[in-house]
Amino acid sequence: MIKEAKNPVLEIHDLTVTYHKKPVLWDIDLTIPAGSLTGIIGPNGAGKSTLIKTIMGLIKPSSGYSKIFDKPLDEVRKRVSYVPQRGSVDWDFPASVFDVVLMGRYSDAGMFKRIRKADRELAMDALQKVGMEKFSKRQISELSGGQQQRVFLARALAQHADLYFMDEPFAGVDAATENAIIDLLHEMTGKGKTVVVVHHDLQSAIKYFEWILLLNTRLVASGPVTEVFTSELLQKTYGGKLTLLTEIGNLLQREGLPARETK
Amino acid sequence: MYEQIIDFLSLSDPNVRTVVLGSILLTSSSAIIGAFTFLRKKALVGDAVAHSVLPGICLAFMIGGAKDPLILIPGAFLAGWLSMILIDKITLHSRIKEDTAIGMVLSVTFGLGILMLTFIQHSGNANQSGLDHFLFGKAAAMLGSDVIIFSAIALLMVLTVSFLFKEFALVCFDREYASSMGLPVKRLDFLMTSLTVLAVVIGIQAVGVVLMAAMLITPAAAARFWTDNLKLMIIMAAVIGAVSGFTGALVSYLYPSMPTGPWIVVVASVFAFISFFFAPKKGILQYMIKQRRIRLMINEENIIKAGYHIGEDRKDFTSSMTATDLIRRRPMPESKLKGHLAKLTRQGYFRKHSQGWELTNAGYKKGSRLVRIHRLWELYLTEYLNIASDHVHEDAETIEHFITPELEKQLEQTLNYPSEDPHQSKIPYE
Amino acid sequence: MNAFWIITTGSLVAITCSLLGCYLILRKMAMIGDAISHAVLPGIVIAFLYTGQRDSMVMLFAAALTGVFTTLLIELIHKKGKLQTDASIGVTFTLLFAIGIIMISVFAGQVDLDQDCVLYGEIAYVPFDVWLLDSGINLGPRAIWVLGGVLLIIIAFISLGYKPLYATTFDPGFAFTIGISIPLWHYLLMSLVSITTVASFEIVGAILVIAFLVVPPATAYLLTDDFKKMLMISSGIGILTAGSGYYLAVALNGSIAGAMAVMAGIFFTLAFFFSPSHGLLFKKLRKKRALLQGHEEGATTI
Repeated sequence: MIKEAKNPVLEIHDLTVTYHKKPVLWDIDLTIPAGSLTGIIGPNGAGKSTLIKTIMGLIKPSSGYSKIFDKPLDEVRKRVSYVPQRGSVDWDFPASVFDVVLMGRYSDAGMFKRIRKADRELAMDALQKVGMEKFSKRQISELSGGQQQRVFLARALAQHADLYFMDEPFAGVDAATENAIIDLLHEMTGKGKTVVVVHHDLQSAIKYFEWILLLNTRLVASGPVTEVFTSELLQKTYGGKLTLLTEIGNLLQREGLPARETK
Repeated sequence: MYEQIIDFLSLSDPNVRTVVLGSILLTSSSAIIGAFTFLRKKALVGDAVAHSVLPGICLAFMIGGAKDPLILIPGAFLAGWLSMILIDKITLHSRIKEDTAIGMVLSVTFGLGILMLTFIQHSGNANQSGLDHFLFGKAAAMLGSDVIIFSAIALLMVLTVSFLFKEFALVCFDREYASSMGLPVKRLDFLMTSLTVLAVVIGIQAVGVVLMAAMLITPAAAARFWTDNLKLMIIMAAVIGAVSGFTGALVSYLYPSMPTGPWIVVVASVFAFISFFFAPKKGILQYMIKQRRIRLMINEENIIKAGYHIGEDRKDFTSSMTATDLIRRRPMPESKLKGHLAKLTRQGYFRKHSQGWELTNAGYKKGSRLVRIHRLWELYLTEYLNIASDHVHEDAETIEHFITPELEKQLEQTLNYPSEDPHQSKIPYE
Repeated sequence: MNAFWIITTGSLVAITCSLLGCYLILRKMAMIGDAISHAVLPGIVIAFLYTGQRDSMVMLFAAALTGVFTTLLIELIHKKGKLQTDASIGVTFTLLFAIGIIMISVFAGQVDLDQDCVLYGEIAYVPFDVWLLDSGINLGPRAIWVLGGVLLIIIAFISLGYKPLYATTFDPGFAFTIGISIPLWHYLLMSLVSITTVASFEIVGAILVIAFLVVPPATAYLLTDDFKKMLMISSGIGILTAGSGYYLAVALNGSIAGAMAVMAGIFFTLAFFFSPSHGLLFKKLRKKRALLQGHEEGATTI
């Protein structure tokens, strides 16, 4: 069940991604509607993070392409923001909360120019939105998991983008933070921003998201939450891998074969 | 020069015999122990241990007052162990990461060693001359009595490895599993670490502390490219170590002023780099050749498929086709096409006519198989992966070349021998 | 006066190396720095043979090339050959260093370098190699000018590229998405590490280069949580190390470079135990206090 979005901000065409020659995403074709809060759902190792990393250009696909606001990523980089997994950085890094949030202003402020007062104010505003303004001078090594996630979120907010990709923002955070974040995301989409979130909890996914992508190496479904959350589609997503697909994936990896002949 | 080499190779001089035997023993036993160090991903820790041995040697010398291996070896051994513990403690009790801890222990202990060494040299102790041979190694400086001690230690190490081979292998491969099997993982770790330190301690006589790490890692890394079998890998590493050690001894004999360590390391590294690039299966060159062969195979199969498609259109698989016909189906420069066609004709897939080419029976069969897999895979993608039928062609273009007969059968069974693909083209069966 | 020049030279090396070292240790590339500092040796010898002199632009350029070549070779073996990282580093730099040592022995007559110099430099001779102008004016030791120049380059690099360097070090994934080129800054940093290594090499030798690249930054890392302060503190510790190391060497009549490395280690040990924020002692005390408090609270609730 793959539904076309009426007013898409993101279109993905025929995207195949391999990791060490093993296909982790296979022929993904989808659209995501503007102003939606979209969840990417699927079991572990389904390629959820890989999908958004590929959209952000962090991973090069074997084939296919994606378009954001109908343009290639490089032309609209400033309108797109990415929140990596919390565990992807070393939180012992010598930086304060404010230092990290200020990174969200680097691109707009100019990479080789001084940071202006206006940028500092925008960074402070972003901290306020996530309820961390009191912690601005705090060292990042002293934060709890939920606070770390809020800092990452504030950095993304400071970018003032129109489209946000977030990798597991609810992983390992306390309930209060989870609620605060989801309220914030709804507020953002209310203002016309589009937010795409990698998520692994099915229960809360029904409550949180308007649009859902069910992913397990291939795209099982994409569409409004009410239409996608059927037991049949969920069964397809979580009910084990397709043996043939897995075996061919293994064959490609074992023999070092390319996933696309044009490469 | 030539005569000297002959002299050396004949091993008639007892001194030469001592040095050759010693060098080979030292380097090959280090290489054997190094295989485990390599597999435990402790190559750089080995580097730090090697450097830290220097202050141990100097201290032992200052206490003992002589360059007797029975004094120096325990000092070096303790210093080596201490550096391992330091690295562990620093990473455990502070936010310092392992690579930084290794770099610190390596440079500070070596600095201490240099400070002590220069202190001893300037103190005017007559016995000290030759202590600096431990920096870059000097195989020729080995005495007969040294070699007996080193051989005993080397033998002990090799025996330990052969007795505990399975246990060591398991701990390197999968610690958790080893521990669930009831193996004393901690004690085995302790033993392996001790062996690494010991290998360093005796290896430095020939190689020197600065380059000793290479003796642990390089032969093992080279051997790894030739085999997946651990026993074979260790034997190969030992042989590479022995050949390097032999070269070191030769250089030391021909040019007494040359340090031997760098030569031993260069010889081992030549083996390693040859392996990295040229080893069958795992070598970098082999990988590139394989990629090229795959591209060639894809191109050739695509021409056969183009021939099949033309036959399908004309409803006659025995009609002859020109180069232009084929290029219209599968665009490529004409010269390239003709090259491929010549080869395919030799292989019996095409027959050449005055007007052009025609598919042979073998060519027809191969083309039909490719088209069958292509269409089956398209159907699989649309039915099982919910991919729109106008998006499946490109994927099938690739997969058709790689599917094995077993997977083909599985595909047919899964789809229950369908007759048409998603674009309503007929799926050809034989 | 000699002491002054030696300590100044040592301090210049210390600051230059410490500044770059802060980035290296945070990028978990300390051992790459170690590898480069060894691997530039053949580049130095070749440049020596080619130009016939020590301090030339050719040499710095050759060094930068060798350094980048080393990192490329390590990456090639790791990525294409699928050899684990630690072994790729180990195999590559030991080979290049061994080749360098052999070249020094073979071209002993043509190259003004020996094994000892390679390992622990000739900082004691720095005051005697002065830069005399044609007019006869003495500008002081040549090494000061070379190292001073390199230090200026490094400071310019760090202040101009502060933001991209900081972002790629902390979170490369995010840095990429805001349009910063990760390979560009990686290779720029590697080139500068190579240049620094070469400029410092013949003065303090390979060990002290690594010691200064790694130890003062690691010490500063235990003393502060602010990156800018970390840069300052590690430079300060570098200067202290150079000064105290010199006097230690004089006292023991031993190698100056060796003594400086030892002092670097002593300062680290002090920070390791007594740092107010991250020292082992205070962490233990804090833990104990927290435990005591916990007990008291536990007692009152019962």
